[in-house]
Amino acid sequence: MTITVNGNKYEHHGDGRVDQLLAELGSNPDAVAIMVNDQVIPKIERMGVVLKDGDRVEVLSFMGGG
Amino acid sequence: MGNEKKLNLGGQEFESRLLVGTGKFSSVAVMIEAIKASGAQLVTVALRRFNRERPSDDLLGPLAKLGITLVPNTSGARNAAEAVRAAMLGRELSGSRFVKVEIHPNPHHLMPDPLETFEASKQLAKEGFIVLPYMSADPVLAKRLEDVGCAAVMPLGSAIGSGHGLSTAAMVRMIIADSGIPVIVDAGLRAPSEAAAAMEMGCGAVLVNSAIAAAGDPVAMAAAFAVAVKAGTAARQAGLMTQSDTAVATSPLTSFLSGNQA
Repeated sequence: MTITVNGNKYEHHGDGRVDQLLAELGSNPDAVAIMVNDQVIPKIERMGVVLKDGDRVEVLSFMGGG
Repeated sequence: MGNEKKLNLGGQEFESRLLVGTGKFSSVAVMIEAIKASGAQLVTVALRRFNRERPSDDLLGPLAKLGITLVPNTSGARNAAEAVRAAMLGRELSGSRFVKVEIHPNPHHLMPDPLETFEASKQLAKEGFIVLPYMSADPVLAKRLEDVGCAAVMPLGSAIGSGHGLSTAAMVRMIIADSGIPVIVDAGLRAPSEAAAAMEMGCGAVLVNSAIAAAGDPVAMAAAFAVAVKAGTAARQAGLMTQSDTAVATSPLTSFLSGNQA
């Protein structure tokens, strides 16, 4: 399915589970926060979220800031 | 509010009255050593998109080992709705209820938008966040932010990263005089003496980033700020002497050397 990840088109070949997408992206699941279609997905609810074609996913991590 | 032994923010107490930011450091190693030298217990971080090319860029891992409390900011948010979302994302990662509300849509001056800051702070306080809003040094807004449940107010000393010091001193004094919550000067400080001055005025704490990160020796500068904040806090608690418009002699003025004594 085709989704948007951090503003870029992304072809996801798995079953749409968020944890599978994170593994595909090579991110540490404990070090990222997720938003799907502008909705914040709490870590404990990630397992229950299944992405569908056209979804917009934001994967965020901490960087330096004041 | 500068007279209590510990800094109290939303019911949580901190020994250190120096908060530090993590931006602009030349390396993660220098940042970690600077945080250690500062003695800071509250450290701000920002959110950004995960970079597939550089997955190891994450700061959460190195910071988690320090035993500090993370304060995610909402930098990048252009309005209250975005700031609320950023705060929720930050909480997911930090595991702390602290948030620094920071909404400055104009990259030229980075002045905080008072209306959006107020709205976001109100919503986040209701949601149970410990809200620290970055704001202009405006006593009226400070009171309004206190009324909606902020744990502190963070008036700017001067523009972010400018190094123009405590140019808002007169306004910060007015905020302190009326405030029932700690006042934390955030942004613009350059020299440790300015941090000491803020504490002498009665600030609850100061937040420093550029002055440490962009110093010749960030670790040594972090230590210098730590000492200055302690000195300013101790001076405030000791009680500064009253000012006088005329000289008040410290030595006896009897002219016993003139030879014409009565």
